[in-house]
Amino acid sequence: MDVTTPILKCAKLCVGYGDVSVMKDISFTLERGKILAIVGPSGCGKSTLMRVLGGLDEPMSGSCELLGVDLSQADSRAREATLRQSGFLFQGSALFSSLTLRENIEMPMREFLKISSSQIRQLAEYKLACVGLSDAIDKLPSEISGGMAKRAGIARAMALDPEILFLDEPSAGLDPLTSERLDDLILKVRESFNTSIVLVSHEVPSILHTADYCVYLDSDTLTMGAYAPPKDFLDPKSHAKAHSFFSRVVTPK
Amino acid sequence: MSEKSARQASISTENQTGGLTIIKIGGSWRIDQPLPSLNFKGDQVKIVSDGLEDFDSALPSWIHHNFKNVRELDLSELPKRLQSLVRLAEKNTQWKSEDEKPNLLENFGVWGIESYSSWGRAMDHIGQTSTGLFRTLIGRSKVNWSDFTLQLQTAGVDALPIVALLGFLTGLIMAYVGLIQLRQVGATVYVANLVALAMTREMGALMTGIIACGRTSTSFASQLGSMNVSQESDALRALGINPVEYLAVPRILAVTLMVPLLSLFATFVGIFGGMIVACAGDLSIDQYLNQAIKAITFKSFLVGFIKSFFFAFIAAWAGCYRGYVAQRSALGVGDAATSAAVLGITLIVIADAIFAVIFNLYNF
Ligand SMILES: Nc1ncnc2c1ncn2[C@@H]1O[C@H](COP(=O)(O)OP(=O)(O)OP(=O)(O)O)[C@@H](O)[C@H]1O
Ligand SMILES: [Mg+2]
Repeated sequence: MDVTTPILKCAKLCVGYGDVSVMKDISFTLERGKILAIVGPSGCGKSTLMRVLGGLDEPMSGSCELLGVDLSQADSRAREATLRQSGFLFQGSALFSSLTLRENIEMPMREFLKISSSQIRQLAEYKLACVGLSDAIDKLPSEISGGMAKRAGIARAMALDPEILFLDEPSAGLDPLTSERLDDLILKVRESFNTSIVLVSHEVPSILHTADYCVYLDSDTLTMGAYAPPKDFLDPKSHAKAHSFFSRVVTPK
Repeated sequence: MSEKSARQASISTENQTGGLTIIKIGGSWRIDQPLPSLNFKGDQVKIVSDGLEDFDSALPSWIHHNFKNVRELDLSELPKRLQSLVRLAEKNTQWKSEDEKPNLLENFGVWGIESYSSWGRAMDHIGQTSTGLFRTLIGRSKVNWSDFTLQLQTAGVDALPIVALLGFLTGLIMAYVGLIQLRQVGATVYVANLVALAMTREMGALMTGIIACGRTSTSFASQLGSMNVSQESDALRALGINPVEYLAVPRILAVTLMVPLLSLFATFVGIFGGMIVACAGDLSIDQYLNQAIKAITFKSFLVGFIKSFFFAFIAAWAGCYRGYVAQRSALGVGDAATSAAVLGITLIVIADAIFAVIFNLYNF
């Protein structure tokens, strides 16, 4: 893929389930190595949009190109190759409950990389160490806390060194300090691997700290409200609802 | 991504005076290619680049793996990006959780405590079930009655075809075996006694009990087990509802109501199956039926009925218990289903043996 192709490009995208559209008129372009935050009220369709962006669901109409490939048009080989370049953290972590953390992270490597198992082990250990889970490596997902599961989910999403990471509410349910560490981790991953990241978050300080761009989904009009760097929304002259979303947390009443 | 012919990852080691080891790394390090292996002893290492081309997480993971226990690791001459990747994996005090591997003796102890506590949990569950049943009797429990009617259907009515088939075949097989033996003494007419008595006292209850274990226990165990996984049982508890009472009581009631009826049904179908074999060979329908009616008394019906009542309770309880204590994982739910069937069948056979002794003692 050409280095100048945008990593993600949507035009007039409409997402939904069955015949019911959840969110329409979504258009934006994300360059390589940038971090995009998707924000909006609960239930407005952030997770749904993310699934479509990541190629897990088909769009209802419009187009969406991931790494220069339109996943709804591409043949299955191109689709799979593109999906392998992306990592996904689900809102509920979605770790395989019968595998230990190590096995969870080794699983995609075993499927896709033809390298020795000792090398796979060492990669998995490194990835888990990156998210601070060296000590819980042989635990089952049922034996760790929700925040640890999130971090393990991130490690699994990073298993194949993806070009783009989709993180659905990575810091939900984490304490402020851990959540701050997670922001640093996200920034470091971007800086070191030049990975592009799309994340859903409700935490304004964290969005301001990490994201380069921000998509605001408007639940009243069911359309994309605004697309701009998050700092811009602090300006009262910007999109009104997005501004109130951002200022509500920053300035206590 | 880039398909250009990259040089393979390479290393060379140089031991210097004063215990310092210099390791030169070069080439291209990618996670989909084999990496060089390293045999190395020492606690002072400096890694330098020697024609290092490109790398992904393969290189930091290799460094992390080989040098995580080295006292002094000098990376200062490596690219900044690589340094920060290695540092990312360093032990961080801010999110640590200490954990030590248990040794053999501890494992043994843990096993002992666990097997002891699993008896405890079984007793606890029996206790909760009984109080739940009692509270239901006096109308003070919270029970999901829609589960009750649903289970009447799925554990009862839906089992009719399989119970009919197996009951029929059991009667048929017994008649065959019996006929061969009875012919030798010229008493073929007693095949009716054999089939009728065995079906009413023994086989009707046992077969339906085992079918209930295979169909119902496993389904209960996986239903309740997956409710464990998704924390639904915790949600019930948080609402102040006892999950054993709410979930297990309606299921057990429905099964103990339906399985004795199924067993009765199996008995008649089995006697009918025996009749087909007997009448195809040596007996007339009249002879067979007369003989059968003479053979069975109300007492033998009662024996079969009491047994199947207990078997039903065992099958339903085993499923609910195994689901209740299931591990919170997909694997745990599968294990719960398997062990529910095993537990149910084992307990039913043991109970049958106990009944045989008791009924014999009291000449029932
Ligand atoms: N599988 C589904 N089938 C039909 N509708 C769905 C499905 N999943 C979600 N929805 C609907 O789509 C809408 C958007 O859901 P989505 O999960 O994308 O919200 P969200 O923005 O991620 O919310 P939250 O911040 O709470 O995670 C909701 O109204 C929901 O009811
Ligand atoms: Mg969501």
